Amino acid sequence: MTIRKWIEQIEGEASVRFEFENNRISFATIAFPHTRGMEAILQSKPAMDALVITPRVCGICGHSHLFSAVRAIESVYTNCGTPLEISQKAEIIRELTLTLELIQNHLKWLYMVIYPELSHLLHHPIADSCRLKGAYAASLATKALAIFAGQWPHSSYMIPGGVTCDPTHVDVIRAEGFLDELIRWFEKELIGITLDEYICFSSKKSFLKVSGDMEKIENMLKKANMHEQGFSYDRYIAMGEHKFSKPSKLVHRRMAKVHSKLVSVEEAYSIDEKTYAKNALYHNEYFETGPLARTMIEGVPFIKQIYKNYRDSTYTRVMARSYEVALLLEHSKKLLQSINLNEPSYIQPLKKIATLSGEGIGIVEAPRGSLIHSVILKNGIIEQYKLITPTQWNLSCGSPQIPGPAQKAMIGADSIETATFTFRAFDVCSVCTTH
Amino acid sequence: MYIRMVIDLELSVEMKNKLEKSVTTKKEDRKTSIMQTALKLFSSEGFYSTTMPAIAKKVGMSVGNFYNYFSSKDELAKEIMLYISSVLGEQLREINMSDKSVREKIDMIVKMYFLIAQERPELIEYFLRIFLSNREVFTKACTGMVCVSDFVTELMLFFDDGVQKGVLKDQDFFSALGLFMGYLGGMVFLNGEEVLPQPLCDYESAIAENIYNALRKQ
Amino acid sequence: MKSRPKLLWLQGVTCNGNTHSFLNYPYLSYILETFEFLYHPLLPATYTLQEIASCTQSCDILIFEGAYDPRMMRAGTCMETLLQYYGSTANTIIALGSCASFGGMFKQSDPEYITGLGFDRDISKGPFAQSSKLINLSGCPIHPEWLGYTLRMIAANKVILLDEMNRPQELYSYLAHHGCTRNEYFEWKVDAENFGRKEGCLFYKQGCRGPMTHASCNKILWNDVSSKTRVGSPCFGCTEPDFPRVNMFETKTNMSIPQDVPLGISKRSYLTLTGIAKSFHIPRLEKRLIDDNT
Repeated sequence: MTIRKWIEQIEGEASVRFEFENNRISFATIAFPHTRGMEAILQSKPAMDALVITPRVCGICGHSHLFSAVRAIESVYTNCGTPLEISQKAEIIRELTLTLELIQNHLKWLYMVIYPELSHLLHHPIADSCRLKGAYAASLATKALAIFAGQWPHSSYMIPGGVTCDPTHVDVIRAEGFLDELIRWFEKELIGITLDEYICFSSKKSFLKVSGDMEKIENMLKKANMHEQGFSYDRYIAMGEHKFSKPSKLVHRRMAKVHSKLVSVEEAYSIDEKTYAKNALYHNEYFETGPLARTMIEGVPFIKQIYKNYRDSTYTRVMARSYEVALLLEHSKKLLQSINLNEPSYIQPLKKIATLSGEGIGIVEAPRGSLIHSVILKNGIIEQYKLITPTQWNLSCGSPQIPGPAQKAMIGADSIETATFTFRAFDVCSVCTTH
Repeated sequence: MYIRMVIDLELSVEMKNKLEKSVTTKKEDRKTSIMQTALKLFSSEGFYSTTMPAIAKKVGMSVGNFYNYFSSKDELAKEIMLYISSVLGEQLREINMSDKSVREKIDMIVKMYFLIAQERPELIEYFLRIFLSNREVFTKACTGMVCVSDFVTELMLFFDDGVQKGVLKDQDFFSALGLFMGYLGGMVFLNGEEVLPQPLCDYESAIAENIYNALRKQ
Repeated sequence: MKSRPKLLWLQGVTCNGNTHSFLNYPYLSYILETFEFLYHPLLPATYTLQEIASCTQSCDILIFEGAYDPRMMRAGTCMETLLQYYGSTANTIIALGSCASFGGMFKQSDPEYITGLGFDRDISKGPFAQSSKLINLSGCPIHPEWLGYTLRMIAANKVILLDEMNRPQELYSYLAHHGCTRNEYFEWKVDAENFGRKEGCLFYKQGCRGPMTHASCNKILWNDVSSKTRVGSPCFGCTEPDFPRVNMFETKTNMSIPQDVPLGISKRSYLTLTGIAKSFHIPRLEKRLIDDNT
């Protein structure tokens, strides 16, 4: 038996064709029906214009695209033998605004998608005001972000050589104010304990101290048996290099280095529906990317403990993404405190961009995982631009013999509702997937 | 006072404007004729040797009254430069606003400049020999392009139009300005020194062609 | 109980930027209380997109985000049908963002077919061209207060004065230039020599379109805190029909003369003023604003 489901509210929509056998999902085919042709739009444009165009790939993670684009152009400079000098200050500010984008993303996902969907599954719907909490908290993060980037969404404040902003202590203190307010909110609404305590959790038992919305969500996850499904390949990859993430892959507890050369893109498996998404693979294998991958690779004690009991179930996946918010809040605080305002924001490249020809790659850890931009420039003009987004990794649509990570996770689900929840646990972004 | 009374009567706006204009124009006309006389004197006697009383005498004014129009020699010097710039600027503006081609406009500009050099030599002489060569007189009141602004603005508009039309090569403004005006000024200077074998106007078409070839987009 | 006006939020060819910008609106509770969302990409709504696609509901306000491609399908129904139907039931149609207003970024996806709702760049064209119901809230993305203002004016039955491109005058009569913290540098023609400094005007070299762009960005600050120009990024003119332009980080000049000058000001006037202002050296403006060597 096959049933088609139209899944909405994933930064767009997807069409999933579920196959059933013995009352359980035996396979699912995922199709993303829209595309905008961003790679074609970027072709023949001057390199700097990519900093305005690429954020428009996505409204919720456009800032990550900006960062990836800047890194890609800077990489061309490096490959031409004229690497750019970026001040520590600029690096810190860039990483700070990136982490704030991750935080706002996860909070919206948690309160506007996961919490309501779980409550719906368990037949006790929550109030609308609960969903709005996520929007409020996210707006605090984006306020702090906008102090440096000018605005969110769609800033272009990162440019090859550094950043355009020239902040004073007034700006840093304002940003600290918003971040502090956000942390207080997080402590009060989500966890009921202090952030410091929460990020030091080392055992599952520590979680008993948690009250607030996180306690409710964790309860519901267990009640809905999310710890008994959603298992995928147990293969994790994080390719972006930041202070909070080192490029690595983790396969069955074995860590190894990664190289972008081994990343490939393939046509998705489809039966009767056109999909514009392409599959992303590392060394011809499917990998999961995103908060679960990052926290596993970083060896975050709390997540490792959960993994010990529940492996890469939907439960673990949701807990990892929620927990990453706390880790990133702490990280943002540290970054803000470490900015040395005496350093230059921008160091002008010696070589003019109109004389730049060559290849470059920019990789960043976006909210949903590793984001790769690769560019070929000829005299400062884009000859070719390719994007591989995190959702392409997680939502790769493979064959029944070798399903993609999310497909594998959905196999064995007892209902479409459960499978859909597992799907959403990957935090899907349709616009990014197909760009 | 009589004029003021007339203006305050219930006249139509048009009439009022005309009358007001004629009152101010009279003062302006007086200033202009003073400047013309000063220019001639500077040309024949030299800038530093010509005194304000000498100019006043030539104009037929008392020295006291003269200082009502120009409070100092430096101020007179500045006003003369503004005046010359506006004369040239107005000519260049008419050329800019005509619908001739860029190439034709170059011809017209060269012709206009040489015509003025011929018929009112004291104007361009003042610019070359007094304004450019005695900067110490002008540093206070004429910083940068303030006193040549009318003329330079029109040149900028000419270049901007030429590049937009795809006729002239896009380049730094001052490189183009130097080529155009340095060339014309240089020729007028040589003419003034009586070094040129032919009259100035004989060189017009060759000069215009050279300028066009140097500035055009390859 | 008073029935709330019905609001339907549909999307065309989009990045969802306007949706996420609006989620920063501080008074979303008020919006949810005042209006009934028939559908929204993320906020709680009465129906699913699939239900909306069956064209059996009717709305009072249609909000459309993204560029218009008549052939695009959402939940099995094409955009042309959806807009024709819901556009006829609505009293007001809001084109949310530059893509919906003028084609914007995503007109480039398929220039032959894709336009805005009432304009194709600056030419009147599209399913609601010349419609008196159409309000264009251009911007890439819009500022949440712009939509908040529009919705609350509608809820209060107030007339919104529109400009010739159907944009609310109270928002779009300002220029992005008004309120920029670098205004004094603009006045005295002190160029920003480079990026990364709070001193200097970005108009002459860095491509800032502030003086030519209708927007309230330096009056109603972004995220309540800042704006592009305040953090040293040039305005890209995203509320205007020609967005996105090319070479957006550079000022187009012809022999060092800016090709475009501030709105409504003749080039002659502008160059005259600039020439004079550039002649003066104001030492205070040529120094750094904050001097730590005192």
